[in-house]
Amino acid sequence: MGKPSDLVQGTLDLLILKTISLEPKHGWAIAKRIQQISGEVLQVQQGSLYPALHRLEQKVWIKAKWAETETGRQAKFYSLTAAGRAQLEKEAANWSRLSAAINLVVETT
Amino acid sequence: MLWIQRLWIKLQTLFRSERASQSLDDELQFHLEQQIAENVAAGMSKEEARYAAMRLFGNHTMVAENARETWGWIWLEQAGQDLRYAFRSLRKSPLFTAVAILTLALGIGATTSIFTLFYDVLLKSLTVANPGELYRLGKEARCCYWGGYSQENEYSLVSYDLYKHFRDHTQGFAELAAFQASDPLFGVQRSGGTESAQSYPGEFVSGNYFAMFGISAYAGRLLTSTDDQPGAPAVAVMSYRLWQQYGSDPSIVGSVFHIDNTPFVIVGITPPSFFGDTLRSDPPDFFMPLNSGTLMPQADAGDLNQADQYWLDLIGRIGPGAESAAIEAQMRVELKQWLRSHWSEMSANDRAKFPEQTLFLRPGGSGITSMREEYEHWLQILMMVSAFVLLIVCANVANLMLVRGMQRRREISVSVALGAHASRLVRQALTESILLSVAGGVTALVVAFAGTQLILHFAFPSARGVAGIPINASPSMPVLLFAFCVSLVAAVAFGVAPAWMATRVDPIEALRGMSRSTARTGALPRKMLVVFQAALSLVLLVASGLLTTAMHRLENQRFGFLQEQRTIVRIDPGLVDYQPNQFTVLYDRIRASLSTIPGVAAAAICQYSPLSGNNWASSVWLDGRPAPGPGADKVENMVYWDRVTSGYFSAIGTQIIEGRSISEEDTATSQHVAVINEAFAKKYFNNANPIGQYFGRPELGSSRNYKIVGVAQDARYLDFDFDKPIVPFFFLAEAQHDVVAKTGADSNPGSHHLHDIVLVAQPGATVSAAEIRQAIIAVDPRLPIESIGTLGEQVSNQFRQQRLIAKLSSFFGVLSLVLASIGLYGVTAYNVGRHTTEIGVRLALGATPAQAAALVVRGAFALVAIGLVVGFPLALGVGQFLGSQLYGLNPYDPATTLLAILTLSFSTLVAALVPAVRASRISPSEALRAE
Repeated sequence: MGKPSDLVQGTLDLLILKTISLEPKHGWAIAKRIQQISGEVLQVQQGSLYPALHRLEQKVWIKAKWAETETGRQAKFYSLTAAGRAQLEKEAANWSRLSAAINLVVETT
Repeated sequence: MLWIQRLWIKLQTLFRSERASQSLDDELQFHLEQQIAENVAAGMSKEEARYAAMRLFGNHTMVAENARETWGWIWLEQAGQDLRYAFRSLRKSPLFTAVAILTLALGIGATTSIFTLFYDVLLKSLTVANPGELYRLGKEARCCYWGGYSQENEYSLVSYDLYKHFRDHTQGFAELAAFQASDPLFGVQRSGGTESAQSYPGEFVSGNYFAMFGISAYAGRLLTSTDDQPGAPAVAVMSYRLWQQYGSDPSIVGSVFHIDNTPFVIVGITPPSFFGDTLRSDPPDFFMPLNSGTLMPQADAGDLNQADQYWLDLIGRIGPGAESAAIEAQMRVELKQWLRSHWSEMSANDRAKFPEQTLFLRPGGSGITSMREEYEHWLQILMMVSAFVLLIVCANVANLMLVRGMQRRREISVSVALGAHASRLVRQALTESILLSVAGGVTALVVAFAGTQLILHFAFPSARGVAGIPINASPSMPVLLFAFCVSLVAAVAFGVAPAWMATRVDPIEALRGMSRSTARTGALPRKMLVVFQAALSLVLLVASGLLTTAMHRLENQRFGFLQEQRTIVRIDPGLVDYQPNQFTVLYDRIRASLSTIPGVAAAAICQYSPLSGNNWASSVWLDGRPAPGPGADKVENMVYWDRVTSGYFSAIGTQIIEGRSISEEDTATSQHVAVINEAFAKKYFNNANPIGQYFGRPELGSSRNYKIVGVAQDARYLDFDFDKPIVPFFFLAEAQHDVVAKTGADSNPGSHHLHDIVLVAQPGATVSAAEIRQAIIAVDPRLPIESIGTLGEQVSNQFRQQRLIAKLSSFFGVLSLVLASIGLYGVTAYNVGRHTTEIGVRLALGATPAQAAALVVRGAFALVAIGLVVGFPLALGVGQFLGSQLYGLNPYDPATTLLAILTLSFSTLVAALVPAVRASRISPSEALRAE
């Protein structure tokens, strides 16, 4: 496998928000989940993941809580806040609009 | 709501940052462990799984750092770290720190102390309410008395009548006050006191003077408009400083003081911060209402009701919403109206000049600025000089920092290898510079305080009165702020090069040995700094050389009188109620009494002795030539004159070239005579013999007032225009009173109040002040003695400012030379150390030790030579600037420039000598082995 595709700038926030929208997850699980769902195309580097998580936490879009994992270890679980859910909807809508527009351009010409 | 939550999270990460950091570490650790577990599950050995996970994870520290950065406090945290780090590393090299801080303290201190003066004299406002609302009359301060119905260029002085005209007609002013332009001394004695009269400066002011400034009394009350009415009881206000002199005695308020023998009731004390309307070295100690001037016919205020005698300055506070430009325009109209109402009294000359009469208003928040005008030039020069010194100081500290940077390259390259950002390294380096600079700045405040006091001490050794100089050496808020800003600017100036060098370190160096890695980086900036320092040193040396030469020339010019063995005793006979015809007898008795003191060779009295700071002037009308027309009262047509007793010329040591001097035969009833100086003879008689010719003064209405009986050698009397030739001058006999042709009145009774006794001691003899006082008291105990001092002091006092600048700039010049030499020594020694091998090889190949030493010295001189080439045009420019600012200074003085170059070369030699000797002693075998 070659170099993982770079995430389009700003989409990492969207991916994180989406990933934890169903249930709280810790950093490792978020990265794994994104990788799995995308069919190993999107690989999130730790160097971008943790700064992004902390930035989202500072913006109060996500909140963190230390809790036990299924293996009985303490981990930091992130979940969406009300503001985060609103932000997710906004960014998802934005993304659909943008990707549809790009598709249109790419496929017609 | 969201912003409150955000703030809450931010504050949590700030105040519980350790906990947050710990939590972050745990989080990352958890991630790593998950990865390891996954790797192990995939079949890797434990060790293998661990390394694979770590490789994938990347730089743990950097990830943590980047995450922390999102908290928004990273800058604060890092600044704290940088500061702690800077503290620690400075403490580890105390010698470097001490030298850097002391050097900075000198540079910043010098600049700050000059700025303290600069601020107090040039920038500060009067300590009054809302100084921005004050406007004064006149573009330039004109001192101090003017007559007639026209003024040259602008009306800047007014008479009481004109003041009342402006005050009553100009609505734009909320308050318009007038006060005396000059600052005379008064003989003051407390009523019922036992001590003799003392002289203090005083001032006549309008009743609304204090109300206009918006200040209130410290004790008692200040003057009001009711005090300033004809026939009002005579009251006065005393300065806080004089009151302190009386032990802050509360009974002063309400007590009677005799001011020039006129009783005044002291009604109040001014606040401590009030120094009057003018920033000067001798502010007034008494303030009296204008109308009380009529009680003292001798004073300027005695001319209160003469409409054409101008002796008042004006300052007004403009009302709300008023425009100064509109007020100015209105006052110009009022001036013309007033002049027209006096048309019948105006001379033809005044009428001719009527159309061009105008006036100007200027912001008056700083008061009348005679002191400003006096000191502006030299403060600017000193400010410039100290800025140069500061630059050299910065260059020197930058040099030290660069050396230190060299020694720390290994440390820095390790940091870079570990992933430190370049920006962080620069910040770290700058933090250290700023810490050093602020420490230097704090130390500099002590230097500045001491320096300012020293300068004040030299600049104003003996101010008149007790009010003292209204300049405070202790640092005020703006001065502190200035010192802090200078420190910061200096920190950037000397810190930026070393900081930049830090970013250029290759991490590979950390892995290599240090012996080869010092490369060429750093050599060029250091050399450039030395070149820069040499150039600035040359500028300062040339400047101080020029100033010192100019000073020497001023002090050693041909004065036309002798200073040795001569004492000037200043008296004020005008303060005692003598009749005009009693003066001649009085002076004869004083001279006789003084002559009885053992060791006194001669005594003569004159109105004003040379360079005493005062002289009268008038235009002259030569017999047989047309009467002077309009323009005769222009300054360049004025001839100065003095009134003297017999024996004056021999006493002061001025030779009579032709004819005779004023003698005892010139009595009240004999032919009125004059002795003229060479300049007078040259200007008005060219080559003809002036002896026996007549001349007069137009204001006396005659061309035959005086018969010229002698020509005296030119002598310097005026305390200005030292760079110009001595101007025409004439001397009149004390015993002879001038009368106005039309009225027969004594035209200048005041000119018979001779102020200066010239006392000549026999060679080797000294005459004590006590003996002189005794001799004068024996004649009349009421006669106030203002001062006793040598003529030499009186002359050298004229050059105090110039001498102070010359001394200070010499001090700064030497300081810069020393600093530049240290810098040069550092660079040269460092180069020798680096080139040990090269020199060793040269010696092994047969070079003599002398050749090795020459190599080093040549290197040093090459740098200085470039510095000279750069500095030379700069020095020329500075010389030209100084030449335009100070008289008697030749901006192109090749001898001074040569001397400066030689001095710089000599110190280069001294600085290079030690490293050169070390180079010549390098043992080739050891040098090669070290490699």
